[in-house]
Amino acid sequence: MNLYDCKILLVDDEKALREMVCGFLRHAGFRHVMMAENCKTAEEQFLIEEPHLILLDVMLPDGDGFSLFKKLRQTSEVPVIFLSARDEDENRLRGLGLGADDYITKPFLPEELTLRVTAVLKRVYRVKSMQEEEIIALGKCQVDLGSGVVRWNRDSENSVADGKRDGVNGADRETMLTAKEYAILQKLAQERGRIVTIDALCDAVWQEENYGYENTLVVHIRRLREKIEEDPSHPQYLLTVRGLGYRLV
Amino acid sequence: MSDFREERINYNYMKVARLLLYGVLAVLGIAVLTSILNMILLVSAAGVYVNTDSHYIYGGDVMEALTVTENGYALSEDMAAEFERENQWAMLLDDDGQVIWSIRKPEELDEEYSRSEIARMSRWYLKGYPVHMRVWDDRIMIVGMQKDAMWKYNLEFSISWMVFLKRTILAFFFINFLWIVVLAFCFTRRFAKKRELARIEWIAGISHDIRTPLSMVMGYADTLEHSEKLSEEARQQAAVIRHQSVVMKELISDLNLTSQLEYSMQALRKEEVRPAEIVRSVAAAFLNDSIPGMLEIDVEVDERGEQTVVKADRQLLVRAFRNLINNSVKHGGQMDAVKIRIAMWVEKRKCCIRLEDNGVGYSEEILCRLRGRKKENAAESIRGLEIVSKVILAHGGKIWFGNCEEGGSYCVIVLRMVDLRDRLNYT
Repeated sequence: MNLYDCKILLVDDEKALREMVCGFLRHAGFRHVMMAENCKTAEEQFLIEEPHLILLDVMLPDGDGFSLFKKLRQTSEVPVIFLSARDEDENRLRGLGLGADDYITKPFLPEELTLRVTAVLKRVYRVKSMQEEEIIALGKCQVDLGSGVVRWNRDSENSVADGKRDGVNGADRETMLTAKEYAILQKLAQERGRIVTIDALCDAVWQEENYGYENTLVVHIRRLREKIEEDPSHPQYLLTVRGLGYRLV
Repeated sequence: MSDFREERINYNYMKVARLLLYGVLAVLGIAVLTSILNMILLVSAAGVYVNTDSHYIYGGDVMEALTVTENGYALSEDMAAEFERENQWAMLLDDDGQVIWSIRKPEELDEEYSRSEIARMSRWYLKGYPVHMRVWDDRIMIVGMQKDAMWKYNLEFSISWMVFLKRTILAFFFINFLWIVVLAFCFTRRFAKKRELARIEWIAGISHDIRTPLSMVMGYADTLEHSEKLSEEARQQAAVIRHQSVVMKELISDLNLTSQLEYSMQALRKEEVRPAEIVRSVAAAFLNDSIPGMLEIDVEVDERGEQTVVKADRQLLVRAFRNLINNSVKHGGQMDAVKIRIAMWVEKRKCCIRLEDNGVGYSEEILCRLRGRKKENAAESIRGLEIVSKVILAHGGKIWFGNCEEGGSYCVIVLRMVDLRDRLNYT
């Protein structure tokens, strides 16, 4: 299934806001966006259309979003993103452990909305958007994130790095990324151009309870540089941001 | 660390002190008002009583008005008229208890009284008639009233009791005063709390109501900013609208958070967090959104700082650091790039974080306000920094603001950390 084929149900009592959000989603490429103005129509729509994701306002004229959410959860595992206009809701959402997939506090920028919707859909349905890059180009080196293979373009016979790496001349050289290196590179590629903190990288690689892996991360980064950089001691692409983390340019 | 030894802001302490002051003032006010009210009541009641014209006649007055003549005793006419007016009577006894003179004496009363009868009536009543007695040489003057006209009671206290009372009466009043203060304090606090609650709700309501329309402003401004149909100029204008609506969004949530924190309405969702990680992520977010070359953030965390774990509300701590850096960005780097240095270390088992910038520094007025010495002067908004203070204080930490000697401002935050030994056992 394509990301943009996913059906999204938008529940909000404010007509103008509904139309605006619907416009954003359509503009972002989502073709199937349904709308409901209260809990009752939301439930009806939910049964008829079977949406893949629900954007749910917390305050509705005939009940609050939380109770509608609980009701829906009894029969369905559909991902829900809450829209809320109160800071206090944030606490409830964090505290109650309702199991909502995400929440957005009003006011929000269109980009924030579509990013979150896309992220939840990708996570839940493992769909891919069309623009998503599978191949990262880093100068003469290309990394295929589909297979985790690093390919070097053989034009540069004289390159110091090539000579050092393997003695074989001629054919394109391919190296595989280890799982950890792959996770690091994937995280950096997702945020390409932006600083990714050491902590965020550790999170991406070791998930929970990752405290104390900073030094190990440095080792993995060094190995990764050896694979993707022409001169690993003077990196051109995988840059260190002192005190904070790393950045892929 | 010498320059950190400056006055610490303690809102909670100040809040309690202020409430106590209100309580004492309220008690004093009530006491003064009650006294005034009582005095007015007493004076007017006395006035009413005086106007009723009902006095009673004293034995001494009667004796003065009584003259001895050849035919016995004679009362002045004025006094006789007064007896008539007051509906009273009098009689004079000699040493043997014989009535030797009387005026308007009720008929049921005897002409002679024994010693025991005299003793009995001396303090109380004579056959139900309230009487006053006055000894005149060897005679006794008895002035009486009609039945049920006067209430009489005899007071008697032992000397030891009076001494005890004299000693304890001050403490007694003090305890009373204290009790009233406490009572008034409780009432004031309750009243204040109610008022605060109403204010918080009002602010929360307003901020809620603003958010939905602001969503539309923000959303459509963003759409226009990216619209290809519009001219470059119009797109620039849309960008300004979008940017300003983001500023408004921050203001609204700052306002809401300030009021919630001020009255400790926001429950802290404490969890174990690593401040080093939070500082890095906030700094990275600022760098990612900045124009390259315009912002430098140098984060230095020492080995133990890196290991530091504190119990804190993550969201609030993020907010505090964001506000701090935001303040430096807004007021920092005259002409050239904003440079921020953040250092983190452990000292005396506390987690210390120092942030300094190369900006204009804090003005004297802002420092005064940040240190809680001056209030309600809205020449320049420091809401963002107040939130920082409140968040840190709400976590039981300490915070100092000041200016560096070489220019720019600094802020030092000290947070209680989770004991590392506990932490080791825990993991």
